[in-house]
Amino acid sequence: MAEYDQPPLSHPVPPDTPRAGFARGLSGAAILAALALACAAAPLMADGSAVHRLDADPVAAALLDGRGSLSFALLAAVLGGLLGIGWALLAGMLGTLTGSRAERRTIAAAQRMAGWPLALLVPLAGGLMGPVWLLALVTALTAAPAVATLAHAELSGLMRAEFLTAARAAGLAEGEVVRRHLIPNLARPLLAAGVLALPRVLAAESFASLLGLGLPPALGSWGASVGLAARLGDPVAFVPPALLLALALWAACAIADGMAAGQRKP
Amino acid sequence: MTDASVLGATKPAPVETEALTLMLGDRVLLDRATLRVERGQVLAITGGAGSGKTALLGALAGRLPAGVDMAGSARIDGHLLIAQGGRLAPRRPLALQVAEVVGHHLGLDLRSSLRRMADGLDRMGVPAAARRFDLPPEQLPEQLRWACLFAMAVAVGPAVLLADAPAAGLDPTVRLRLLHRLADWARADGVALVLAGRPEDGLAGPADRVLALRRARLLPPSPARTEPLAPLEQPGAARLHARGVGMSYPLAPGPRGEARSLAVLHGIDLDVRTGETLALLGETGSAKATLARSLLCLPPPTAGAVVWMGRDLMAASAPPAAADGRGDGRGDDPDRGGLRRARRDLQPLFPDPAASFDPAMTLGAQFGLVLESLRPDIAADRRDHRIDEALEEAGLRPEAALRWPSALSVAEAAHAGLARAILSEPRVLIADEPASSLSAEERETFLDTLMAVRDRRRLSLVLATERYDEGLRDAHRGVVMLAGRVVESADAGTLRTAPLHPYSRAMLAAAQGERPALEGDAPSAFAQPAGCPLRRRCPLAREFCAQAVPTLEEVAPGHHVACHYWDTPTDG
Repeated sequence: MAEYDQPPLSHPVPPDTPRAGFARGLSGAAILAALALACAAAPLMADGSAVHRLDADPVAAALLDGRGSLSFALLAAVLGGLLGIGWALLAGMLGTLTGSRAERRTIAAAQRMAGWPLALLVPLAGGLMGPVWLLALVTALTAAPAVATLAHAELSGLMRAEFLTAARAAGLAEGEVVRRHLIPNLARPLLAAGVLALPRVLAAESFASLLGLGLPPALGSWGASVGLAARLGDPVAFVPPALLLALALWAACAIADGMAAGQRKP
Repeated sequence: MTDASVLGATKPAPVETEALTLMLGDRVLLDRATLRVERGQVLAITGGAGSGKTALLGALAGRLPAGVDMAGSARIDGHLLIAQGGRLAPRRPLALQVAEVVGHHLGLDLRSSLRRMADGLDRMGVPAAARRFDLPPEQLPEQLRWACLFAMAVAVGPAVLLADAPAAGLDPTVRLRLLHRLADWARADGVALVLAGRPEDGLAGPADRVLALRRARLLPPSPARTEPLAPLEQPGAARLHARGVGMSYPLAPGPRGEARSLAVLHGIDLDVRTGETLALLGETGSAKATLARSLLCLPPPTAGAVVWMGRDLMAASAPPAAADGRGDGRGDDPDRGGLRRARRDLQPLFPDPAASFDPAMTLGAQFGLVLESLRPDIAADRRDHRIDEALEEAGLRPEAALRWPSALSVAEAAHAGLARAILSEPRVLIADEPASSLSAEERETFLDTLMAVRDRRRLSLVLATERYDEGLRDAHRGVVMLAGRVVESADAGTLRTAPLHPYSRAMLAAAQGERPALEGDAPSAFAQPAGCPLRRRCPLAREFCAQAVPTLEEVAPGHHVACHYWDTPTDG
């Protein structure tokens, strides 16, 4: 087959970039990791003594705020990702157990809800409810439908894959097919769908905090600081949290984008 | 035609190349080709994937693909290029695109462009009712889209028409009908027509001259193998039986909540004998692939029975999926064992071999899994040896076991699929278009390997294919299918020389490059005509054909035909 080594002109294979979006995702992850480290180390910048946010210089204050924003976003993203993936898996399971109708209804609900302005629920919940974990749950719920839609698309595409038929032809029982073939191939796409929750919850929380209806002031949040600085008309206090928030949002989007692009078939 | 050739003798030919050389990097695509196409001449250029057909047409059209260098000269009169895949903007109404192209070339307004286009569609044999100029191309059926493209070319009326892979992907009978009409137009209007495509596309039929692009040279094509590699052995007793196998898919419930379903396979009876090769012949929608999968119970058919060596496979495969498969996976082991034993004996070949491998495992790991499941009698430390043997038998090196499926070329994937199928030492291979992804030499090599494996292991082979001649070449018996029914079954020799059903005759004609005697396009599975499914296209159709679906009747020993008027002679 030596003379066919060259790919035909009419069906060009892309040049050696086996993982599209890899560089973007990697840089996003690097920036987010650096931000998280900087935020974690922020108390050290305040002379090592007790931290008083209002005394600290604006950059240190913004980094301190990042602790609240990032950790809340992480918590809500994990919850939202799990909820969305669980939703998609539930739809898939209903489809195999009871028929395609229940599956369609379950996932159609998610698709419809993904179009609603669910982010408005977050300030509502922030204003009405006290505990942070309830707020995290509501924030997670706003991201879950989008995750569920994407995860279900990946799942149903994979359920029809020919290699599952080939595995059944090899006499594997359904449980074996799921364990040996479905789960290894599903892990990455589901993770990619779950990461989609991260930028969404970060944006939703910042929006709520900007209105003053988000995280409690003791926790600190970029959105709250931006809102406060805007109200006070203090550009020096405004710029650092706004820049850091923009950077974190870009990084989260880049990670989610890169992972989704790595999944896409050419 | 004679006028055209006289004119051609006095004037320079519309297409002339002198020592045309094309290079892609340091690889020679075409080596000093001298080519001359006269007015009214139809030239077919065939070649496998990557042989440089597209680059050659691009060079003729003056639009070289990126990275291709050209030397020598190519002179061509006013030309029109139909690019690969028939480029029409998918979402723009057809009328606007026609007006744009025809208007650009001839300077006509919308109305006159559409009138010329309607004339062109007449010449392509598209009935007036099917002309939907207001629809975007993505809503047209594939064959109508190609007919529209050809009609657009006819409307423009160029001196030279270059068509890259024309009507590729259509069914052979539809494709050959369109190509013959295009060639007729070219000869009548004195247009130099250059068709480029893969050798199995049947471009040679309507052409006056055929050149094969092989190893960078344009040569006369070498005739394909028409005889089996080795004389076929007599088959033994029947082991695999299908009785009344039917398949229907559930549809969304109707307006009053009644359950609806779409039946695609209607009560097929089939026997496969040991060592026998059975060709399932049919085009899109004939349900040959559904039948092949039903024989494997992947998924099990919804009606009838599949019996392998006296064991009903549907009884073995149905209960665990429906009843207690979820509750306790171990309770149904005896049945599963029976099915597993049958799976070991019946192995599939898939139409897209690359997609039939798990992308997350190396070939060797997947092969090991197959052996672990189907051949527990082979010890774990002997599995690698067995895998190497199978790979070598299928024409791959043993190192291929270490490779990932995404790193395989299409041809290697096909051979790897064959290696996996013979891993468990089956008795029957059920192949659904196993070479559909391959072309030219790769295709021949793969089919030769498949037949060699079959002969060495005395396998039964069920080969579903739309290529009439290729399927029957190595087969004992052929079954021609149409819309989920068998319309003719006979031994391969009879089907290759004297088929009786009009559909078999059309497929044979298409395979030989002649004009198939079928008009129009195949009906959709959702809108099958009452009575005989072929009656709207059939030259023999009469009123009675609409009233009853013809049943299979034996017209000679071992020769069955399902047609009301098979013994009526066709005139022309």
